Amino acid sequence: MKRVIYLIILIGIITACLPACLKKDSYISQSEIPVVKEVQLDKYPLNKIFPNPKTVTINGVDYLQSQLPVGDYGGRLITSTIGEGPKTFNPFTAKDATSSQMANMMYDGLVSMNPVTGDVTPKLAKSIEVKGNKYIIHLRRGIKWSDGKPITADDVIFTWKDIVFAGLGNTSVRDSIIIDGQLPTIEKIDDYTVVFTVPKPFAPFLRILSNPIAPKHYFTSIPNWEKSFDRILATTINPKDIVYSGAYHLKKYVPAQRVVFDRNPNYYEINLDNKKLPYLNQIVYLIVGDLNNEILKFEGKEIDTITLRGATVARYKAKEANSDYYIYNLGADTGTMFLAINLNNRKDNKGKYYVNPIKQKWFADKNFREAIDYAIDRKSLVTNIAYGLAEPLFTSESLNGIYLNKSITGHNRDLSYAKELLKRSGFYYGKNGFLYDKNGNKVEFDLYTNAGNTERESIGVMIKQDLADLGISVNFKPVEFNTLVNKLTNTYDWDMSIMGLTGSPLEPHNGKNVWASNGPLHLFNQRPVGYSVDDRLSWEKELDYIFEQAALKLSFDERKVYYDKYQQIIYDERPIIYLYSPTRVVAIRRKFKNTYPSTLSGVLYNVEEIYIEKAKQ
Amino acid sequence: MIKEIMKDKYASIAFIILVVMYLMILFADFIAPYSKDFSDRNQSYAPPSKIFVIDENGKFSRPYTYNYKREFVPELYQAVYTLDKSHKYYIKPFNRGEEYKFLGLVKTNIHLFGVDKTGRLYLLGTDINGRDVFSRLLFGGRISLTIGFLSLFILFPIGLIYGGISGYFGGWVDNIMMRFAEAVMAIPSFYLLIILAAILPSNMTSTQRFTLIVVILALIGWSGFARVVRGMVLSIKNEEFVSAAKTIGASNLRIILKHILPQTTSYVIIAMTLSVPSYILAESGLSFLGLGIQQPDASWGNMLKEAQEYINILYRPWLLTPGFLIFVAVLSFNLIGDTIRDILDPKGKIRE
Amino acid sequence: MNIIKYILKRIIQTLPLLFIVSIISFFIIRLSPIDPLAELRLNPSISQETLQKETQRLGLDKPIPVQYAKWASSFVRGDLGVTSSGERVADKLKERIPNTLLLTSIVIFMTWLVGVPLGILGAVFHKSQFDRLLTVLSSIGMAIPSFFFAILLLIFAVKTSLFPVGGLTSFDFDEMSLGGKILDLAKHLVLPVTVLFTISLSGLQRQMRANMLDVMDSEYIKFARAKGLSEWQVIFKHALRNALNPLITLLGFEFAGLLSGAALTEYVFQYPGLGRLILEAVMKSDINLVMASLMMGSIMLVLGNLLADILLIITDPRIRGVGK
Repeated sequence: MKRVIYLIILIGIITACLPACLKKDSYISQSEIPVVKEVQLDKYPLNKIFPNPKTVTINGVDYLQSQLPVGDYGGRLITSTIGEGPKTFNPFTAKDATSSQMANMMYDGLVSMNPVTGDVTPKLAKSIEVKGNKYIIHLRRGIKWSDGKPITADDVIFTWKDIVFAGLGNTSVRDSIIIDGQLPTIEKIDDYTVVFTVPKPFAPFLRILSNPIAPKHYFTSIPNWEKSFDRILATTINPKDIVYSGAYHLKKYVPAQRVVFDRNPNYYEINLDNKKLPYLNQIVYLIVGDLNNEILKFEGKEIDTITLRGATVARYKAKEANSDYYIYNLGADTGTMFLAINLNNRKDNKGKYYVNPIKQKWFADKNFREAIDYAIDRKSLVTNIAYGLAEPLFTSESLNGIYLNKSITGHNRDLSYAKELLKRSGFYYGKNGFLYDKNGNKVEFDLYTNAGNTERESIGVMIKQDLADLGISVNFKPVEFNTLVNKLTNTYDWDMSIMGLTGSPLEPHNGKNVWASNGPLHLFNQRPVGYSVDDRLSWEKELDYIFEQAALKLSFDERKVYYDKYQQIIYDERPIIYLYSPTRVVAIRRKFKNTYPSTLSGVLYNVEEIYIEKAKQ
Repeated sequence: MIKEIMKDKYASIAFIILVVMYLMILFADFIAPYSKDFSDRNQSYAPPSKIFVIDENGKFSRPYTYNYKREFVPELYQAVYTLDKSHKYYIKPFNRGEEYKFLGLVKTNIHLFGVDKTGRLYLLGTDINGRDVFSRLLFGGRISLTIGFLSLFILFPIGLIYGGISGYFGGWVDNIMMRFAEAVMAIPSFYLLIILAAILPSNMTSTQRFTLIVVILALIGWSGFARVVRGMVLSIKNEEFVSAAKTIGASNLRIILKHILPQTTSYVIIAMTLSVPSYILAESGLSFLGLGIQQPDASWGNMLKEAQEYINILYRPWLLTPGFLIFVAVLSFNLIGDTIRDILDPKGKIRE
Repeated sequence: MNIIKYILKRIIQTLPLLFIVSIISFFIIRLSPIDPLAELRLNPSISQETLQKETQRLGLDKPIPVQYAKWASSFVRGDLGVTSSGERVADKLKERIPNTLLLTSIVIFMTWLVGVPLGILGAVFHKSQFDRLLTVLSSIGMAIPSFFFAILLLIFAVKTSLFPVGGLTSFDFDEMSLGGKILDLAKHLVLPVTVLFTISLSGLQRQMRANMLDVMDSEYIKFARAKGLSEWQVIFKHALRNALNPLITLLGFEFAGLLSGAALTEYVFQYPGLGRLILEAVMKSDINLVMASLMMGSIMLVLGNLLADILLIITDPRIRGVGK
């Protein structure tokens, strides 16, 4: 009996499998490419000129007036932040992007930026006059902190003098405006006018004025505020105690889950009907641990806007026409993916070389670096790893950078040219097909990246193969992220490494940490802190000079000459070989109006102007 | 014992599955049509090859397949695969492909099956780098299915000797040794595992990394095992044959090794089969966090990591196969472990 | 009186244990090449001075034994220190403990509710097809990698929109009525509880089955049977009471597990529990946070064992002699 049952089950399984095994071929070549219907969608055209808000004075109050269409009030927007959530709500101690983002919701700066052109526009400041080395700031009259105290010159002086210049909290802003060892000075003219004086003309300074302004009376009301500065606006604060100036303020922070912001009813921006902004009652940031979870939350309709990456774009693009969201392809993003080569030729304090001297010789050889560059198949990287959502990159400025050197057009993969270059430097091929240097050493080195990042791991695998075509043996070693950074910035014991950095598309000077020979992120030839020997390579010297000079020029055209040169040097010398620059694609639910996503600023930069049509609330 | 295992329905199936799995990984080079590093970068995330046995005229034919052609459709931001019907590739038994060393000894290029050089046969599709998932599963199995066993071979001697000495001598020796073991046990094992895996020096070859992960897995398991052995030794050492051995003047070490530890054999065998699965799972957990076996090497854990992305689960289900294999292997070990326990310890006297 | 003396003795005995645990963990973590400031270092807008300030604040410029001494002395004084991003460790733990307690206690409750009866059934129908089936079924639960199971469930949640995608509460939780809040929590808890329940069920079921078998084999059960009691009477009146004793020890272990969290499951479900916190802390070598949670885990383990022993002394008069 039992056997019969088994037999029946077995036959059942076989018949179930048969159709799968006995596939019938046919003449018709099944085209699996779905027909793409270009659906006319009621989207905002991209790169439309974004109208800057204007200043209007009503009853002695200098309001900021949005120039976008008037919308309906109410509703909420839910978005996400990836990682562990904010560590503080103090904009001056924040050291990570999420904390800064949250803090900046509540604290406006003197200036802001046009999301399309990147031009500086006034925010808390009504206007700014630049006279030589002097920046005269005229503040708005009649605008107030959330507790009703006026926002005045005292707050500006307090912020810059007592916090920033004094070096409290995160000193990065302070360090970036030290010019020739000197800080700018700040002076109060009257309650609504302050003057900054910089020691020399300094181009990046204007943008730095977007640094938030702190409420003096609130900060100083905290006993011993300077000593306990790190604890001001800590995440454990009672939201009711916060004094703020921004469009939204903290309602509730639920650790590891979400940050909820409520509307500021007394914000100083108004719409064309002279009614107070913002429109939305609430902004919720869900704290999500990783990209995968974020996508799931968007799919589950738990969040309203998302930056789409890689393969996910295809899915949502295909479904866009019948969905409740729009997809915007914003073009090149600010991030860059690159391969860094360790040019370090120094010894540690035990007299041991950081990099094996045999390898040092290869890496110091410009031909060798160029050969590596020519061996890399960027096209495949873009199609396979970035799913076509990227552009091959050859410059150190990202493709949306306003200082991008457009004369650098790059090259295709060219193995024979790469081999030619190697031959010129005395490399030769052994019988086994491997590459040897002129001293007979087999060319073999380590390639690092951070483990757990599928994108970079796959790049590593591909580059390993690319270089194998040159006869080079690459030991590809993904290591834990923190370990890798320790190697790059501390122990210097690496050969090549795949990394990504986010630069500033508007201000190349922010890349000084990477390009200045004593910069803390001068990865490819990192010098220890306090290193005093001048062993700069000739082109490193040139870079130092360029970065020093370019910051002192104020006009775009003058600066462009310098920054074009710097990109050319990096392209020629190839201490860092750029691979590709991802494209930024965002999705926003359709019910939100007045959204003007841009590659420079993303989606939520004008959150106070975004609204939901009444009918859809 | 195998006879007795085969008597049990579930265990016999499990046993056969495991034997097949281990044979497959032993002959991985021969069975796999490709090596673990073979990649065709124009075939990233290609779906499994379609194999036809009935040709376009409706006649039976030797099994054949077509290559995939990849086209990037910019409007869709997507690479689309279509069958390239211009050339049929017949699947040939004992096909000549990449060269390898059979069982690490004989150089050959004969694979169990395959297609001509320009053809591509992907039984289970490819991964992001265009590598054959089926072949990588076989090579990954080598790591995933042996890592647990190897750590047991480190862990058990340590645990046996540690527990044996501690239990046999008793007194302050026992006290100190057990406090130390308890301290190790008191650290939650998963966190200890991550901490240890994170310390691994980065400039290691993949073999070294593999070995060290084995050692780490062992470092975590020994203390619990040692404690149980010590408990058993405590009761065994008072038995007559031990005092008899003492009176003949046998050395302490000899008594522990020759007389006491052999008494714990059945426990050791049970504990071994029951703990292999937990090591397979531990490896996959480590790889999930990026701390286990690293690319370009394959293990079921790090292959599964690629599959966890939402889009991959939806559109590339073949990437889930390593998860399925982990499941089958672990389940089989559990079933066999249960049966062995019933055989060696029918009354359930031995506790973990 | 004896019991109090016994408890005191046990507590004193655990001090060296905690000491060893802290030394082992501290040195292992500090020997790792992980740089707690890695993320800051790679941020182009963070200046050298800021980095130096951070290094000094975290004491990373001092030798490891000095760092340990500093940590130990403040730990003994009850100060857990600050995390690498400057938040108080005690605050961080306090935020997460209730969430983890909620999750683990539900899981433990469910496991016991189902596992113990299944274990008894397994023993009663020892060697039958039913017994075998139970073991096989529970083995299946144990065989799925937890994170993989969790991911599959999450996708199920998205596809069916029956459950929320991870987390513990909805964004409008604070505006809900009490009933709504409970329902919201329940909805969020279903999936993580399912994963943890499936994984831990088999262990308990096996344990209970083994205990029962052990007891059923004993002399006095044979005696009870000989008395002519029905099989069910034997089981419920005599066997069960004795089989539960070892479970009390097990309960002690479960108590220890209350606060160690289930890192991978919590991570996939984005559950705001301790497991995820510790996992993230370990990954970036946030030493004060890791040390605090490891010590908490050890203390819970010690406490759990102690509690179990005391319970045993109370319930089982045969063991009372231990205290002397």
